[in-house]
Amino acid sequence: MQLRIYRFNPDTDAQPRMQDYDITPEAGDKKLLDVLIRLKSVDDSLSFRRSCREGICGSDAMNINGRNGLACLQSLDELKQPVVLRPLPGFPVIRDLIVDMTLFFAHYHSIKPYLINPESPPERERLQTPEQRERLNGLYECILCACCSAFCPSFWWNPDKFIGPAGLLQAYRFIADSRDTATAERLDYLDDVYRLYRCRTIMNCTEVCPKGLSPSHAIEQIRLALLKQSS
Amino acid sequence: MRTPSSAPVKFLNLWQIRFPIGAIASIAHRVSGVLLLIALPLLASVLARSLQSPAEFDALRAAATSASGTLILALATWALAHHVLAGIRHLLMDVGIGSGLAQARRSARAALIAAPIIALYILVRGLW
Repeated sequence: MQLRIYRFNPDTDAQPRMQDYDITPEAGDKKLLDVLIRLKSVDDSLSFRRSCREGICGSDAMNINGRNGLACLQSLDELKQPVVLRPLPGFPVIRDLIVDMTLFFAHYHSIKPYLINPESPPERERLQTPEQRERLNGLYECILCACCSAFCPSFWWNPDKFIGPAGLLQAYRFIADSRDTATAERLDYLDDVYRLYRCRTIMNCTEVCPKGLSPSHAIEQIRLALLKQSS
Repeated sequence: MRTPSSAPVKFLNLWQIRFPIGAIASIAHRVSGVLLLIALPLLASVLARSLQSPAEFDALRAAATSASGTLILALATWALAHHVLAGIRHLLMDVGIGSGLAQARRSARAALIAAPIIALYILVRGLW
């Protein structure tokens, strides 16, 4: 199996370069991450993040043959060779396939990703009807891998001002939550030409979400909620 | 070796990114918008000049049917057709019509295919 991998070591390299690898996958190797781990045993200077290796932790997001995805969910038999691997587009590269996600998480924190409800909690739990719980489906599953935000041109050009699809999907997760009482404040924060309205609905986010979620739908719902609030 | 003050290394070579059809329709929307911005004042002044005298009209018609004139008109007509179609697509998507991924892909493809066909039709009917 042939791979071309983006290599950059800030201590020794002035510029990134592409390195070719040829490796024979073994019987149990089903996903791209299996091959990367095998490569790492041959060339231990190759750097990438991984943890759960099953699409839950979201740490092995990368650009695979021009599209963002998780190495652990990418089947080997669907890949055209040479498999070209690059770090997530638009994010500062720390080393090889590892990117700096500081700004990405700063946006996530800015939307207050937790339940806000000043009422004293009931003895057991805050109940929801099945319909209220249903509204969280397609939102709570986000693993913050950044595949979407790193495939969004609006985020590439304004990474400091546009919250990006991942942050906005998370924002809507709390707006849609019947137990949260800060909806108006959350919407006020988002009502900004950059934070929310920099989205141009090209839907690259939904195209690449490895969990099959639709950040573009969440953004649409936030815009509609703002419209209702203003009327 | 890089110094801490140098700009961070990023991968953002747009030629090495495989864009979905929605992104291609969107960049075409922008390109067509820029073309329209350039073309509309020019075409308006051409129209004004063509109304000055029959000789002026004939000269401008000859210019319009020349190879470069046809190319400019073709580009402007495509730009108008694509910008209108992609714009209507976005207006509908903004109110939740066709904003699912499958429909958005279909409407993006439809706009990209229909715009050159409409442009060709207008050009053929208008020039010859």
